[in-house]
Amino acid sequence: MNSTLEQHHVVGGGFLRRLNFGTAAVSGLVFGFIAWALSHHFLDDSGQGFADQVTVLTGCGWVVGFLLGIGALTGPGKWFTGRDQNHADEMYLAGKDLGRKRYFQYTTDHKVVGVQYIIATMVLLGAGGILAMGIRTNLLTPGNHFVNQQVYNGFLGVHGMLMILGLIVAVAGPWANFVLPIQVGARDMAFPRLNALSLWTLIAAIPLLLGSLAIGAMDMGWVTQGPISDQSGIGFDLFAMSIITFTISTTVAGVNTICTVLTMRTKGMTMERLPIFAWASIFAAGLGLYAFPFFLVVMALNLADRMVGTSFFIASGGGTGWLQENLFWLMGHPEVYVILLPAVGAILEIASVFSRKPLFSYRTVVGGMAGLCGLSALVWAHHMFTTGWAPTLGGPFMLTTELISIPTGVIFLVLLGTIWRGNIWMKMPMIWVFGFIVNFIVGGITGIYLSDIPVDNQMHGTMFVVAHFHYVFVGSVLFGAIGALFYWFPKVSGRFIDEKMGRISFWLVFIGTHVTFISMFVSGLRGMSRRYSSYALIFEHTNFVTTIGAYMIMAGMLVLLGAVITSWRSGVPSGPNPWGGKSLEWMVPTPVPLENFEVLPVITSDPYTYGEAKS
Amino acid sequence: MTSNDNQKKNLRQIFWIWLAITVLGVVIGIYGTPWLMPTSASNTMHLSILTMVVFTVAAAPVAALVYAVVIVALTKWRYKGEGIPPDGPPIRGNSPVTSVWLVVSTLLTVFLLVWGLALLAVDNGAESKSEMTIDVTGQQWVWSFGYAGTQVHSHDLYLPVDTDVKFEVTSKDVVHGFWIVQMGIKVNANPGAITTTAVTPNRVGTFDIRCTEICGLNHAFMVTRVHVLTKKNFEHWLASQPATN
Repeated sequence: MNSTLEQHHVVGGGFLRRLNFGTAAVSGLVFGFIAWALSHHFLDDSGQGFADQVTVLTGCGWVVGFLLGIGALTGPGKWFTGRDQNHADEMYLAGKDLGRKRYFQYTTDHKVVGVQYIIATMVLLGAGGILAMGIRTNLLTPGNHFVNQQVYNGFLGVHGMLMILGLIVAVAGPWANFVLPIQVGARDMAFPRLNALSLWTLIAAIPLLLGSLAIGAMDMGWVTQGPISDQSGIGFDLFAMSIITFTISTTVAGVNTICTVLTMRTKGMTMERLPIFAWASIFAAGLGLYAFPFFLVVMALNLADRMVGTSFFIASGGGTGWLQENLFWLMGHPEVYVILLPAVGAILEIASVFSRKPLFSYRTVVGGMAGLCGLSALVWAHHMFTTGWAPTLGGPFMLTTELISIPTGVIFLVLLGTIWRGNIWMKMPMIWVFGFIVNFIVGGITGIYLSDIPVDNQMHGTMFVVAHFHYVFVGSVLFGAIGALFYWFPKVSGRFIDEKMGRISFWLVFIGTHVTFISMFVSGLRGMSRRYSSYALIFEHTNFVTTIGAYMIMAGMLVLLGAVITSWRSGVPSGPNPWGGKSLEWMVPTPVPLENFEVLPVITSDPYTYGEAKS
Repeated sequence: MTSNDNQKKNLRQIFWIWLAITVLGVVIGIYGTPWLMPTSASNTMHLSILTMVVFTVAAAPVAALVYAVVIVALTKWRYKGEGIPPDGPPIRGNSPVTSVWLVVSTLLTVFLLVWGLALLAVDNGAESKSEMTIDVTGQQWVWSFGYAGTQVHSHDLYLPVDTDVKFEVTSKDVVHGFWIVQMGIKVNANPGAITTTAVTPNRVGTFDIRCTEICGLNHAFMVTRVHVLTKKNFEHWLASQPATN
């Protein structure tokens, strides 16, 4: 009896059964070492750029080895040899009946990938946060030497890049994977294997970025400017490799998100009935597809300058740093909206559900997001007003930059209109929404000052700019991301995040944000340049306050981390629809079954029918 | 009926909170901003501070409106019962409100733009009528200044007051940011290129120059001073300097 059963039960997965995160890490290290040894052996060690060549090839070895070791190339390999995966293999890949193991494997189920993205985001933001504490501790008092200047400069660049990468994936990674396919009524993403590929490529990029700090000597800040990045030590090579790897991950993820929303919607889910988070996700993903190739190119050219003696950005060889700055900001400004839009999408979902009201003016906000995407591609040179590049273009770029305040205003209109006279339910997700509104106004308005060229001539490159974009990234995007985490966590784990600890963390982070960045505004107004490892006595008090505020934010984030970990294990059970939401993710059971829907639903209205007669 | 009365009451509350926050913002804008910024030592800086004040005053009512709605939402519209609240009014949009919002934000944007372009025209005018040119060279991690038409070089910058000065800025190594803090001018020093900026110092005294682009280890210490002298004292100083290369 038993033996007959076994004969019929085909074991799927094949070679993949032996692979997981551990084998990937080992394989990555082995391949990295092989690449290092081979490049040492074969390359001309007296040649210019030898150290950079070795470092980049070692980085390539790590990425290739890691992807081989996790099984990313097993599927394509099988396909090439004419043995495509059978149903049992697909089920294995999707993580069926694998329990907890599936979170450490090349799993295609979008819900597993979503959870893996939560962890990856926490690692990125956590590491970036630790570096921020290092930076602020160094600036606690003037002339404080918590770390030396070389290490401090490395902290600046790696802190910036870790946070940027972390925030790019903070909402889009977990929720455009976990929630989005369910929201549009799909059984998985359009390309499940690409989904796993994007996640594991991201994971491969993180150790490179952290490793860059370890081998160090980086002076270039996160913007990797022109000649200074050429002067930097070999840490920069891993830094650039990390970003190249990351852009591949984001491109794959972006294509997947767009295709999922455009082609996988269930019957009746017209574009006008899409949850607003789905719109925000495809706008952000589309904008990323435009922006991130610049990121890849600028890093590749920079590496070429260092490795093989080209001079794209090196003046003495006929290149120019302005080319680097243009390419970087062609990516850099759209990237702000790649980060912001998913957070705004999540905020709008939460605002509607917790006000028990329909989204105010659905089409206006979709138009506003489209406007943000379009304009954000046309404003990059406002980061270059004081570089001396093409002063004639100052006027036009001031125009496009100030126009952005109109679609941004639309987002506020829709948020306030949605809250307007609702029955405001002050649970944790909604608390973060209010934090978002309060902070985003500050971040937005200070951006308008900077768009004005005479003011920018004074403020560019100062702590004022740093405080401005931290109000956007910390005060707005991070608040949106944490709101989204509180909102969708019950769908992931079947439990609430602990409310009491949640409130403590909110107040610590909220007050900390204002303490940190208002005092930083003052430092900037009084004339403190950014990226200073030390400062004059007149900036003493404001910097001390900033550091205290930064510690508060860190304390709040640690409380949040504690809340998430304890609640995941033993939080209050939530049931499938704790918030009374109407979008599809709340209609499926928790934990969500492998293929989400037993029968695909048919949609007859958008998910914002609060207060309206049931149709 | 009651819903309409409530709406009117809410609008009244929002109006008063809005007014209070606006007044607060305007006062902070007018008195706080100049107080926080460095002493102005040029008309350019004066206009920069003025712009900060004007923009703060213009932004105050916008921020105040958002904060007023937030405060009323948190105090008046908050659901106090247990469990999921009942549904609110199904407001799907409001064309007049949306239209007014768009028109007002467009007008504000046009105002900002016209203001900015007007100041830009003033700035560009200053550059074309320069009476004196200074060659600024950044290198890791010092500034040096050459006085055009002379063989004089210095590491502290000396300027005559009330003179239109043009700076031709370059770098010997990496990108630096040349910033005279109290004069509101800034331009990057790029290797292999000359960038320009101009200013008319209008106050005698000593002011700060700081680097604003990360330029390696001692970026934070790439600072120097500018001494603005009376025209007579400046001539005297220039004549007393040895010619150097």
